[in-house]
Amino acid sequence: MDTEYKEKEKEVNVSNRNSSFNCKELVFRLLALSLTLVAAVVLGVDKQTTTVSLTLVPSLPPVDLPVTAKWTDLSAFVYLVIVNAIACAYAAISLVLLLVTRGGNKLVSLILLMLDLMMVVLLFSAIGATGSVGLIGYQGNSHVQWEKVCNVFDKFCHQVAIAVFLSFAGSITYLLLILLAAVTLHNK
Amino acid sequence: MASYDTTFSPAAAAEEPLKRSAPPPEYKGDCSPVVDVALRVLLFLTALVSIIVMVTSNQTKLIPLAPGLAIRLPAKFEHSPAFIYFVVALSVACLYSIITAVLSLLSAMKPSGCSAKMQFHFVMFDALLLGIVAAATGAAGGVAYIGFKGNSHTGWSKICNTYDSFCFHVAASILLSLISSITLLLLVWLSIYVLYKKTTRR
Repeated sequence: MDTEYKEKEKEVNVSNRNSSFNCKELVFRLLALSLTLVAAVVLGVDKQTTTVSLTLVPSLPPVDLPVTAKWTDLSAFVYLVIVNAIACAYAAISLVLLLVTRGGNKLVSLILLMLDLMMVVLLFSAIGATGSVGLIGYQGNSHVQWEKVCNVFDKFCHQVAIAVFLSFAGSITYLLLILLAAVTLHNK
Repeated sequence: MASYDTTFSPAAAAEEPLKRSAPPPEYKGDCSPVVDVALRVLLFLTALVSIIVMVTSNQTKLIPLAPGLAIRLPAKFEHSPAFIYFVVALSVACLYSIITAVLSLLSAMKPSGCSAKMQFHFVMFDALLLGIVAAATGAAGGVAYIGFKGNSHTGWSKICNTYDSFCFHVAASILLSLISSITLLLLVWLSIYVLYKKTTRR
């Protein structure tokens, strides 16, 4: 009778731990989904048209030319949007998988953990690329005669910076997911 | 009933301390220290060679500015902050690989085998370093791509037609750092798998 009671208590403890583990992981995945989605959208709608006045001939008044900056102009920004879209889709799929198996299937949890790490790698590389290209646009590079563009397209550059910060927050969320899973595996 | 209780309780009492102490020596073959140390040595080698190739990439060329006037202009890796960050991040990875390879060897030689706590710490720090090295690879790759192809929208001209050896060095360096990132990824996967095996065995 005593051992039966102890076994039932253990079962209840295990199921409690499973459900509490599920809750934090669900919150983190939802957060990652929303952050990467917003980052992809913020950069995906980034477009600015402004006028630049050029003096072609000194005697005539300066000519106003409209110039446009779009996110598709630089491949690093395209890479960031694509990676954020991948991370967002993966967060959605993993959320569905987690809800379906209720954290009970160990193999699914292991595969999701390994894919979380892949998302961290992709997001960090995209952040590095966009950050370095954005820095060139912000400061220019005098050694190779690359001029800065953020003095003209300031709203465009601000949106790029916001997208980079949001992607960084998304990648930190994925890192926290890995930490959470490792802590749970270690404490078992 | 009384005989059932007296035979059962000493066994249960003996079972409890065993569960709380360190894992029994049968787990020694479970954590594969050979693969772990081999991957860390590979990480060290690729990071070191990548740094050396990037640092020795200086190239000076005669650039014609006007007909009859040409000046010598150098291309160095210090000209771009992305490449400076690349060298710094890979040096950190180099140092980290030495420290953790030594730690992994020492923990594998202990009689109690490798501990789950060590694997847990490896997962966390390897994942952090993986983020840093991946960002370095991405940053250098982004700048190198613009240097290779130029960008007509922003008016940035390509430089790889002039500085061919510099571009070759940078490309080789980035490829090696990509191998470093993949090595770190495999290391974290290995540590996670070892932790998973330990928990499913219990």
